Amino acid sequence: MSNAVRLENLRKVFQGRGGGPVTAVDGVSLEVKDGSLVTLLGPSGCGKTTVLRMIAGFETPTEGEVFIGEERITTLPPNKRRTSMVFQSYGLFPHMAVFDNVGYGLRIRKVPGPEIRTRVLSMLELVGLAGTGARLPSQLSGGQQQRVALARALITEPRVLLFDEPLSNLDAKLRVQVRQEIRRLQQRLKITSIYVTHDQDEAMTLSDQIVVMHQGRIEQAGSPEEIYARPRTRFVADFIGQGNFLAGTVRGVEDGRTEVEIAEGRFRVATGGFRPGDRVWLLLRPEAIGLAAPGAGRWKGQVSTATYLGGEVFYEVAVGRQTLLVKVGHPKGGAGLGAGDPVGLTFDENSLHLVPREDKG
Amino acid sequence: MKRSLGLLAMVVAVAWAMPAQGGQVLHMYTALDTAESQLYIPEFEKDTGIKVEWVRLSSGEVLARLRAEAKNPQVSIWYGGPSQDHVTGKKAGVTVPYKPPLDWTLPANAHDSEWCWVGYYFGAIGFASNTEFLKRAGVPAPSSWQDLLKPAYKGQISIAFPYTSGTSYTVLATLVQMMGEDKAFEYWRKLNQSIHHYDKSGSAPVTQAGLGEVGIAVSFSHDILTKGSDKGYPITMTFPSEGTGYEIGGISLVKGGQEPDLAKKFVDWALSVRSQNLMKQWFRIPLNPKAEVAKGAVRADQVKLINFDAVKAGDERDRLIKRWRSEIGQ
Amino acid sequence: MAELRKILRDPVLAATIAVIAVSLFLFVVHPLYKVFQMSVVEDGRLSLHVYRDLLGKPFERRPIYNSLILGALVAVAGTAVGYLFAFAIARADVPWKGFFRIVATFPIISPPFVLSLAAILLLGRRGFITRTVFQGWWDPHIYGLRGLVLVETIAFFPTAFLIMLGILQAVDPALEESSLNLGANRWQVFRTVTLPLSVPGLASSLLVVFVESLADFGNPIILSGNFHVLSVQAYLHITGMADFSGGAALAVILLLPTLVAFLLQKYWVSRKSYVTVTGKPSPARLSVVPFTRRLLCGLCLVVAGVIFLLYGTVVFGSFITLWGANYTLTLKHYVSVFQIGGGYLRDTLILAGVATPITGILGMIIAFLVVRKEFVGKGLMDLISMLTFAVPGTVVGIGYILAFNERPLLLTGTAAIIVLLFIFRNVPVGIRAGVAALQQIDKAIEEAATNLGAGTGRTFVTITLPLITPAFFSGLAYSFVRCMTAISAVIFVVSGKWNLITVAILGLVENADLSQAAAFSLVLVAFVLLALGLMQLGVGRVATSQMGVEAGG
Repeated sequence: MSNAVRLENLRKVFQGRGGGPVTAVDGVSLEVKDGSLVTLLGPSGCGKTTVLRMIAGFETPTEGEVFIGEERITTLPPNKRRTSMVFQSYGLFPHMAVFDNVGYGLRIRKVPGPEIRTRVLSMLELVGLAGTGARLPSQLSGGQQQRVALARALITEPRVLLFDEPLSNLDAKLRVQVRQEIRRLQQRLKITSIYVTHDQDEAMTLSDQIVVMHQGRIEQAGSPEEIYARPRTRFVADFIGQGNFLAGTVRGVEDGRTEVEIAEGRFRVATGGFRPGDRVWLLLRPEAIGLAAPGAGRWKGQVSTATYLGGEVFYEVAVGRQTLLVKVGHPKGGAGLGAGDPVGLTFDENSLHLVPREDKG
Repeated sequence: MKRSLGLLAMVVAVAWAMPAQGGQVLHMYTALDTAESQLYIPEFEKDTGIKVEWVRLSSGEVLARLRAEAKNPQVSIWYGGPSQDHVTGKKAGVTVPYKPPLDWTLPANAHDSEWCWVGYYFGAIGFASNTEFLKRAGVPAPSSWQDLLKPAYKGQISIAFPYTSGTSYTVLATLVQMMGEDKAFEYWRKLNQSIHHYDKSGSAPVTQAGLGEVGIAVSFSHDILTKGSDKGYPITMTFPSEGTGYEIGGISLVKGGQEPDLAKKFVDWALSVRSQNLMKQWFRIPLNPKAEVAKGAVRADQVKLINFDAVKAGDERDRLIKRWRSEIGQ
Repeated sequence: MAELRKILRDPVLAATIAVIAVSLFLFVVHPLYKVFQMSVVEDGRLSLHVYRDLLGKPFERRPIYNSLILGALVAVAGTAVGYLFAFAIARADVPWKGFFRIVATFPIISPPFVLSLAAILLLGRRGFITRTVFQGWWDPHIYGLRGLVLVETIAFFPTAFLIMLGILQAVDPALEESSLNLGANRWQVFRTVTLPLSVPGLASSLLVVFVESLADFGNPIILSGNFHVLSVQAYLHITGMADFSGGAALAVILLLPTLVAFLLQKYWVSRKSYVTVTGKPSPARLSVVPFTRRLLCGLCLVVAGVIFLLYGTVVFGSFITLWGANYTLTLKHYVSVFQIGGGYLRDTLILAGVATPITGILGMIIAFLVVRKEFVGKGLMDLISMLTFAVPGTVVGIGYILAFNERPLLLTGTAAIIVLLFIFRNVPVGIRAGVAALQQIDKAIEEAATNLGAGTGRTFVTITLPLITPAFFSGLAYSFVRCMTAISAVIFVVSGKWNLITVAILGLVENADLSQAAAFSLVLVAFVLLALGLMQLGVGRVATSQMGVEAGG
C-alpha cells in the first residue's frame, strides 16, 4: 500500500504574542497509508491543528516537507492542493444556499451545470440531507450544517480529507452518531483521511491509526489497541483511558519479562526494553482490577469514594499510601460498596504494563 | 476582475492627465473678482470665439502659482492685479513681453518699459465708511491718513494683508513713497492698533464695512463703489487729503504658456474700446481715451494723487513685505 | 523564504501587493517626503536655516502655540459633548434617541465652513444675536479663539460621540450589574465602573479630535481673525508669499503633533481596550435615576438647539438679499448657484463620482490584505495607508503640488491629481470599515473557499466581498461625503479646468458674499444628502456607526 501523505521533519515556529518565538510543531514525521483514517490526538496547544493546516496549505512549514503521494507540496498554495477540509466551525458560506455551498468546488473546477446538479443532489442524499438544497445554512441545525460541510468537502473527490475537530460543536449524543457516520462513509469511499481531535473516544472509534502529540512532537503512533494496551510514555498512557501509576524500579530482566519492584510488592511484567536499575511507572488500568472479599486478593484496601455512573461504578480505593481507581461493571461482585468499606483487590500480572519514569525531583 | 478594474482606473487617470489638446482654448489666471471676471470674459469668448478656462485667485496667489509652475506653466495669461505685482512677476521671470498694436498712446507709467506688462485700467485708493457706524459713533468719515489714527476709529478698520492682496500692498507702497520708509512703518504700527482684523482679499474689507462688521475699509475706489454703495450697502467714500496712491491694472503674457497667440488676442481685446466700455459696470477708469467713463466713478483729476512709482513699488515688494511681517507681526 | 515563495506562486496576490505598494509609495510617501525635503534643502544642501528663521520670529511661533491651544480646548470640549450624547443614548435611555443620533452626526456631512459662516451671521459684530440680544453693546469677538472653539467643537464632537457610543455599547452589562449587586449606588457605579472602562475611549476621542482640530482649515481661514493657526499660515506662506520652504516647514511642524497623537492612539490607546469586539452592540440600558435622565435629555436638547440655530441661520441667510443691509427675501442666490456654480457642481460631482468607487475598492483590498494575508512589509503597508488620514490636508496638498509638478509625474492642473488626492485621503475610511467587517467574519469561511480551489482573487470576489458589503457601502458613502466637502488639501490643486464647489464657497465667504455662500453651501449639503439617500435605498442599511470616526476636511 502506498503512502497517500508523507510528512518529513515538519517544524513550525510562530512569533508569539509576548514577543518571543513559539515552536508549535517540532520535528514531526509521519506516513499515512492510502485509504486509512489517521487521527492526530492531543491536548490543546500540542500542535495537531498546525500540522493539519500545514498539510492543507494554510500554514507554511518553517522546516520540513509535505508530500502527497510522490508530489512535494510543501509550498504549493492551498487552493492548488488536492486536500479537502472540514472545519471546526464548518465555514459554510452564509450568503449561499446549501446547494451552492456544496457545488462551490465544482463551479471552480468549471464542471458543467447539469453535471453539478446531479452530483450535488446525489451527494446530499449520501449525507442524508436530501431536499435541503434551497435552505440557507442559518436555517439548519448544527448536525445538518456539519453534514453540509462534509458533503462540500467530499464532492470534489480529494486525495486527502482533513478534519479539524468537526464534532466539537455538537452535543454528546449527536457526536457519537455523526462520528459513526463519518467512519462509515470514509470506509465506503476508501478516502485517505486525517482527523484532528482532543477527544480520545473519537480517536479510538474512528481511527486506523492514532498519532498522539504533545508539545509539538509525536509521542507515539500506532493502532488504537497498541496505544491503549501498550503506551510507550506516561503521557500517552495518561491521555488515553485512565490509569493507576505506581512508582517502581526494575530489578531484573528474564525470559522476556521484566521484574519490577514497587512499594506494594514485586511483579513480572511482559513489557520489554528496560534494564535493571531503570525507574519505571507500573501501569494498572482500572478495569483490570477486580474486587474481592476483604482479606482476599493481592492487596488489602479501603474504599474512599464510590461514583455510580449507571453502567459502571468507579471506586477510589486506598491501598497503603496509594489511592487506586477501580472500575467495575455494575452489578458485579461487591455490589454497592460505600466509603469506608474494606475490600480486597485482584488483578492478573499479564495486564500490567511499564512506562519510563522521569522524576522531576 | 480586480485587475481589470485597476487597469480601467489607471487608463481613466492617464487620459485625464493629458492636457487638453486642440480647439481654441485660452488658459488664464485672473486676479479680478469672480463676479467681475464674469462681466468681461464671456464677452471676449463671444467676440472672438475663443474659449477661456480661468481660475480666480488673489493677485499674490497668482504670483505664487506662476512661480511654482515656472517649469510647467498651466496658463498663458495673467489678467488683472496691480501693476507692481506684474513688475514682481517680470523680475521673477514668469512673464514675456508683448507690445499690442495701438492707435493711441499708453502713458509711460501704464506699461512696462519692455512691455512685459500692459496696463488697462486705473484706480485710486480710498476710504469706505459705513454711514450707520458714523452716525452711531458721531464721527465724520476719515479725510486723511492721519485721520485714520483717531481714537474714534479704534478697532473699526479693515484692510487686507499686504502679502496676499495687491490692493493692500499698494497702500503700503503708497505710504512708503509718501512718508519715507521708516515713517511709513511707524504709521502702520500705530494704525495696527485700530485694525479689527486683516482680510485675505483686497476688496473684502469693503463688504465688511457694508455689513457693519467694521466701520471703515481701505480699498480701491472701484471696489468701494461696486461692492459698497452700488450693491446697496450704506457706504460713503472719501479720499485722504495728503494724497493717495493708485494702481494700474495689468495684464501679462505668461512665459512658456501654451497659447501665446490667443493670449495676445486677449490683450488686444482688453484695450479695445468695446472691452474698456464694459468696465463701466465696475466703476473702473479705462485707459483707452476713446472709452466711456461710468457716472459716479472717480477720475484722476478729481483726487489728489501722489507721484506713485509703480515700478519701484514692484521692485521693493519682497523686501517691504518681509519688513512688514516682522514689524507688524502678522 | 518559504513565505515569499508561497506568495510568488499566487500571481494575483503578488501582483496586487506590488501595485498597492507602488501606489502607496508614489501617492502617500513621496509627496510627504517632498514637503519635508522642501523645508530642509537650501541650494542643494541640507540646512535647518528655514526652521531657525521661522522659529526665531515671535509672529511665526505664535501660530504653533495657537494651534496647540485650540486643539486642546476643542479636544476637551468635543469629547465632553460627545460623551454627553453617547451616555445619554446608551445609558440614560433618553427619549428621541433617533433624533439625537441624527443631531450628533449631522455636522459630519456639512462642509466645514458652514458653521463658521453661521457664526458670523449670528455672532459677528453685526450678527443677528449681537444686534438683538446684546443690543450691539457687547461684541462677542467671534473672530478668533472663541469662535473657533465654538465652531470646531460642534464640527468634531460627532467623532467623539461615535467613539464613545461604540465603547459604551460594548461594555459588558454584567460588570455594571454586579457592581449594583454589590451595593454601589448609581453614581458610584458610574464613577468606579463605567467611567474607568470608558477611559480608553475617552483617550482615543481626545487624541482624534485634537488631530482634527489641528488639521482644520476651512473654519480658521474664515474665522481666525488675528488668531493665526498653522494650517492657514502654511497655506498663506505658499499662496500669498510664494515662500515654499517656509510653508513646507510650517507644514512639517504641523505634522509633528498630529503624527504623535495618531501613533499614540493607534499603538497605545487602542491596545488598552477593555472591551471585546462582539459585533452586536447591546441595547441601551437604563442606569441612571429619572432626574439625571431628564437633566441629560435637557442638555442634549440645548446642544441640539444650538446646532439647529446655526444651520437654520445658514438656511435663512441664503434667502436674504444682502445680509446686513437688505433683508428682503429672494431666490436670486439659488438662481445664481445654478447659473454660475453649475460648472463647479458638475466638476465636483464628477470627480467625487470617479474617486469614490476606486477608494472603496482599494480600501477593501488593502483591508483584506492586512487582515488575512501574511507578507513582508505588511505592517508598513498598514501604517502608510492610514497615514493620509493622520496627516493634515494642508500638508498633503502642499506635498502634491511639489511632487507632481514635474515629469515624469506631471499631474498639476489635471483632474487626475484631484482624483488621486481624494482617493488617498479617503482610503483610510474604507480600510477601517473593511478591517472591522473582516474581523467579524469567521476565517474558516474564506479558508474553506481556498481549500475548495478558489484563488485569492476569486475568494475575495465571491466570498469576502459579499459578506463585507455593508461595510463597503458605508465606506463608499463616507468617502463620497468627504470628497464633496474637502477643502484643506484640494485648495492647492484646483485649476482652470477643474474647480471644486468648496473652493468657490470659500471665495464667496472671503468676499463676504455671505448669502451667496449660504445658498451654495445648502445646495452642496442637499446633493450630499441626496447621494447618501440613493446609496441607502440602493443597498440597504448604511452602518452609521462606522462613519464619522474619521471626520474632518
